Amino acid sequence: MGDAGSPARADGAFLQEYGRKVLTGFYAALRALKFYPVENTTVQQAIDELHGIITELLEIEGGVELKVVGDFFFLNETRLRLDLTNYSTFGSFSRALGEHEIGAVQVLEGMGREEWAPFLSVLLRNAEGDRPFESFLARLDGSPAHHVVLEKAKETLQTDLEAEESLAAAKRTYTQSVKVANGVLTDVRMGRAVNVRKVKRAVQGIVDQVLSNEPSLVAMTTLRDFDEYTFTHSVNVCIFSVVIGQRLGLTRLQLYELGLGALFHDVGKMKMDPELITKTGALDDEEWAQMREHPTEGLLLLFKLHGFADVPYRQMLTAYEHHMKVDASGYPANKRARLPSLFSRIVAVADSFDAATSVRSYQYEPWPPDEVLKEMRDNPSRGMDPLLVKALINATGVYPVGTLVILDTLELAVVVQSNPNLDMLHQPVVKVISDAVGVPLAEPRTLDLSESDPVTGDPLRAIIKTTDANKYGVRVADYLV
Amino acid sequence: MSDPADASGVAPAGAIDWEDPSTLPLDEVRDLFQTLAKALRAYQLYDENNPVYKRFVGNLRESFQGLWGEVERLPVQVEEDRITWLREEVYRSESRADSLAFLFYKDGVREFTFLPGIEDVELEPLLSVLQRARNLRPESDDLLTILWEADLSRFQYHYVDVLAEGIDSPILEGDTQPNLRLILTGELSLDDIPEADEAAAQVAGAEQAAPLRPKVSADDLNPTLYSLNAREMEQLRKELDREMARDLRGDVLAALFDRLEEPGNPGRQTQILAILRTLLPNFLSRGEITAAATVLEEVGALIRDERRFDGARRAQAGAMVEEISGADSIEELIRALQDGSIRPAPRELSDFLRHLGAGALEPLIRAAEETEEKELRPVLREACRGIAAQNRVAILALLESDEPAVVAGATRVAGRIQLTEAGTKLSELLSHEDERVQLAAIEAAVNLKASTAAGALEAALQHSDRSIRMASARGLAHLRYKPAERTLRQVITSKQVRQADLSEKIAFFEAFGLLAGAGGVSVLDRMLNSRGFLGRRESPDVRACAALALGKIRTAAARKALETAAKEDDPVVRSAVNRALRGED
Repeated sequence: MGDAGSPARADGAFLQEYGRKVLTGFYAALRALKFYPVENTTVQQAIDELHGIITELLEIEGGVELKVVGDFFFLNETRLRLDLTNYSTFGSFSRALGEHEIGAVQVLEGMGREEWAPFLSVLLRNAEGDRPFESFLARLDGSPAHHVVLEKAKETLQTDLEAEESLAAAKRTYTQSVKVANGVLTDVRMGRAVNVRKVKRAVQGIVDQVLSNEPSLVAMTTLRDFDEYTFTHSVNVCIFSVVIGQRLGLTRLQLYELGLGALFHDVGKMKMDPELITKTGALDDEEWAQMREHPTEGLLLLFKLHGFADVPYRQMLTAYEHHMKVDASGYPANKRARLPSLFSRIVAVADSFDAATSVRSYQYEPWPPDEVLKEMRDNPSRGMDPLLVKALINATGVYPVGTLVILDTLELAVVVQSNPNLDMLHQPVVKVISDAVGVPLAEPRTLDLSESDPVTGDPLRAIIKTTDANKYGVRVADYLV
Repeated sequence: MSDPADASGVAPAGAIDWEDPSTLPLDEVRDLFQTLAKALRAYQLYDENNPVYKRFVGNLRESFQGLWGEVERLPVQVEEDRITWLREEVYRSESRADSLAFLFYKDGVREFTFLPGIEDVELEPLLSVLQRARNLRPESDDLLTILWEADLSRFQYHYVDVLAEGIDSPILEGDTQPNLRLILTGELSLDDIPEADEAAAQVAGAEQAAPLRPKVSADDLNPTLYSLNAREMEQLRKELDREMARDLRGDVLAALFDRLEEPGNPGRQTQILAILRTLLPNFLSRGEITAAATVLEEVGALIRDERRFDGARRAQAGAMVEEISGADSIEELIRALQDGSIRPAPRELSDFLRHLGAGALEPLIRAAEETEEKELRPVLREACRGIAAQNRVAILALLESDEPAVVAGATRVAGRIQLTEAGTKLSELLSHEDERVQLAAIEAAVNLKASTAAGALEAALQHSDRSIRMASARGLAHLRYKPAERTLRQVITSKQVRQADLSEKIAFFEAFGLLAGAGGVSVLDRMLNSRGFLGRRESPDVRACAALALGKIRTAAARKALETAAKEDDPVVRSAVNRALRGED
């Protein structure tokens, strides 16, 4: 341990700053070594910079440990914040480590400048054999890099336990949030005092889960309950909004603000006639006119909610603007100059995606998630911000979690995890639930569709189309939650 | 936790045996919690720059620094009335009101850990959170929500979620036994896809059928369609910056006004007007004057537009403007402006004040007359003028006020808005017992060019107060009130003027010059250039004033008289002559 009294050491912002420098240093050195011989000036400069940063950090912290867990990096146990300026650097380095099943890189005091090139060169080589981590260690042992200690990625050893724990945590957060949404929105409907504290706690929980356990929480959004649609929809929109916000590099507090707005985005519907909300079949003109009032009602209702430190203007605008299109058409109609805010546009994307993929009173057959994403992305008349739709696809993959797909083997499968590799978003991890002749499997099999035939290089399986789970009587949540 | 050393936070390399409590630094930990409690109390009582507060925080910092030599971190357990470390009590308080333990316990915190480094940057944020936690309304926040917002990296905590009690995990009911084969066959045969036949053949068990090709659009596999490139990321980053800088309040107000002007929903209009009524004092108390001005401007415009409101809504909107224009509201605003609790720019304040109703006139006029804030006075006066222009009758009423400050201010305003109906009242006010009123009446008479008041002004040339005499002289000159020439001639040739100071002399002489014209040259020439008995001249002050008065006449004779004195030795006289010749005021 270094000097506990050092001001720099205690400052989280300091580690964030150093974390960015360290990852950029690794990235730059790896890129330089990939394209130039080791004696090239570019390589030498990159190694100088990396060594300099690590040496500074070693002096302050006494040790440097860079750990990769899922999509996240931790520098000496501080999670590094992903933002718009660094996520491709982070992703690239994460893949380089993942290739060799490396979960953590520890640099010890005494690390010499001459040790970097051998270590990085081994890292650049392709993974070998069935046990890439062990092969890597064997190659590293023969190199002069003695002050680097590696830890194997825990994925293979702890997947089941960790996945179970992650899922349990996500379940707790999700069910609690739905309960809170139910309670609060019902209180609003009944004109009772609303406990905003509960909403804050729920949104804080969602933000924490998205930051640490995003796939599990996103999987929960498939747990749609028709009877509780309004409440689960509010929570799902909150989750998807925070997921998009996270991709945009929003800070934790900004995600919280966004999440609060998202959870309350439909609060105005609590002022509508319940029969209108639950009406099956098409709404007539008058009913639509009423329905289109809910954003304004939401804005006005939020003025009645006490318990915010300040007037919740941002949340009011989200409630008011979430049906406005990017060109400010849609509803409510604007008479004064206005364009919907970024937060409102994020919530609009999340809202549309969840609504279209859900069974609702007037929508018996939900759209397949991939088609919804495509429609939102490609049809300008939907009025969605195309960059934000991209950010959602970036998070959910081309085939979002919960999509029922038919494989080229004619097996039916449920998408259970998107591929973190941006180049393989169309090749998610799936659970095969029936065989080629339609017989349900007693034990669904998990497959990574990015796996390829070692001989031909072709994918072992591919998705030929998506389909409607209801048509098959398949409840996708059974395979996710 | 399996490793007791981990649980205790005790440094394994230290001379401490975690199994032997006697070797634990219990006294230091107890001392730390006592110091924390004192620092928290100091935080409550003193400003953050207060030396007493700083001393307590310094003591706390030192306690932490001392402890980190012995332990790597400090994880403690929280009970209702005490805090323990390794089952040893390190803090206890019987009184819940001041108890640190209960402060954590009541919101569910059952364990927390201090980490090294907390003393450097997170002590005061932590104290702030704990202090806030004492005064929270239960429906708005608790310790957990504000700890989360504080995002402290060197203070970790575990809690039992009281809010989550009774929540079950989701249970999925029902059975899933679909006939997948039948549906799959149907779907692939019915769909109009080239591979359908092959698929059907496969489903039917044709082993040699060609493999199916993915029916996914090539576009969907193009990463540019779902990955954000550098330009797009930069665009989003700028969007985010804009979002964070957005005028949220302005946008919410715009939304409210968009809906308020829709006449088809009077119930909603009532609701929005009630919201605006609540917002106005909120804006004013925070110094958000522009927002308040926007509300008044928009509501005022809607009141004037006959298509927007029915009678009830118009009355409601009018009452809102009236309320904010009332004496109590305005006096409160003036207090806030004078004690500096809000500091709007003069232009912002002026924009707000001009939208007020007639009710605001009296307190604003009073404040404009009495304030000692130099920057505030012209803003208030301008606001009074603006409001009075729309409410002329109200000014006439204020001229009858018992308060001299109000009468004086109203009189000035009457002049500035050319309230001719006030002309007759001015004569009366020129002889008001309060000199502020008299001065204001002179100013108003000048602005109104009120001949009815000129006689009173002439009489005021003999007033006991110097400022009133001067103002009257200037007023008469401004009004070009020729009948006053005789009185002014008497004054400038009397002993009275010789006893006056230079400013007063100038006022009288210049007024005489302007009213007398060519007829005044001889007397002024004599005063400037002639010698009296024993060759004595007038005093330099009187000669200089005579020169300035000649300068106002602008005839050849006047100029000749000035040129005669152009080479005068006395610097005061010479300077005045030269100024007069140049035509300077």
